[in-house]
Amino acid sequence: MKKTISLVAALMMVSGVVAAHSFNEAFNEQRAMYGKGHSFMWNGQTYITDHPEEVAAAVEANAANAAKLLASAKAKYAEVLAVDFGWTLTAKLLKSANKALEAGDFRKSMNISAQAEYHSRMGIAQYHQSQTEWIMAVPE
Amino acid sequence: MKIIKSLLAGASIALVASITQAANSGNTLASVDPEADRLALQSYFQKRFPQVALSDYVNGIYALDAPSREQWQDIEEFPPYEFDIEEGEALFNKTFANGKSYADCFANGGIGIRQNFPRWDASQGKVVTLELAINQCREANGEEALGWKKGKIAQISAYMAYTSRDNVFDVQIPNDKAKAAYLDGKQSFYARRGQLNMSCANCHVAGAYIKIRADLPGPTLGHVTHFPVFRSKWGNLGTLQRRYGGCQKNVRGVPQKTQGEKFRNLEFFQTYMSNGLVVNGPGARK
Repeated sequence: MKKTISLVAALMMVSGVVAAHSFNEAFNEQRAMYGKGHSFMWNGQTYITDHPEEVAAAVEANAANAAKLLASAKAKYAEVLAVDFGWTLTAKLLKSANKALEAGDFRKSMNISAQAEYHSRMGIAQYHQSQTEWIMAVPE
Repeated sequence: MKIIKSLLAGASIALVASITQAANSGNTLASVDPEADRLALQSYFQKRFPQVALSDYVNGIYALDAPSREQWQDIEEFPPYEFDIEEGEALFNKTFANGKSYADCFANGGIGIRQNFPRWDASQGKVVTLELAINQCREANGEEALGWKKGKIAQISAYMAYTSRDNVFDVQIPNDKAKAAYLDGKQSFYARRGQLNMSCANCHVAGAYIKIRADLPGPTLGHVTHFPVFRSKWGNLGTLQRRYGGCQKNVRGVPQKTQGEKFRNLEFFQTYMSNGLVVNGPGARK
């Protein structure tokens, strides 16, 4: 009986430790709670809850940078469409980013491009996950 | 030391359990077993809804939800698809410019054959749905292909389904290439997609008869039997793959190509799951 209890406790500990120590989980939790620009500690190091696309967009807002970010977002969108895992909002975001760029609102354009590229990156990640994880949903 | 041993034992059990589940479910060409999948799915729904007869799953959500069933039965007194069947019959019997007709393209003159579609076509090396076969028939006889989702193709398909009512679905998987298409469809059904990160199974297996806002998703078992359907939301008749596209948009995913390989394989998988149930299309849905 004692052995069973300790085994169950150990199993619970294993899952708890993994959950608590996964960087992605920690990042997503902090991002969900505090949004972007928040710093948090993980494994003794400090991290910021910004997505890589937001970091890339945190440069001087000018025509060249806005055009560069939009081109990058468009390329990533083509990548996600090639694996058939695009999200519906992304095309609209790209259109808005382009419109803002043409209107000279570079900051707005860069922020929207960052969001669009994030969508595409997540779609690609979803595609890779779908190749392996789908089987876990099949009823036994 | 005891704790370390327990931790190792726990980790091993967890690892073995996940591998066993994957192996049993069949995620490779070598391990996939369509018949085992079909029986497992039936068993899943029979355990969840023991009061529902297997044969009643052809009625979709109306097999599970009594109030919705009552409303649907009222609708079925004057079926909204009735005129579409008549129009479909007229279109089906209309001869092409070369003097031939749809009857020349299908077994048994195209009557009472819905239950055999989609089918694996060895000569084409792909899954052929009924709608694809209709358009292939047209093109082979010098006619233009119809649009895939609604209108004439749905009407012709509805008429062909109507002539097949009560026939038992009998989709065959004759070889490894067909099995690969089935496996691809199975993966599509269970894979999450779109910004909402949802799979077909989220709504139509685990989520069947669980409210999503004001809607009750139907069970996947029996899903295909009543298509094409007249949806109140559409206000007209539509094909199964029109619905697939709508579902993918609902989870904020860019829809896959209608009658493309992915959707045809998905339909192949989903129809195989309903083997043994009868054709009751066309149907009326919310």
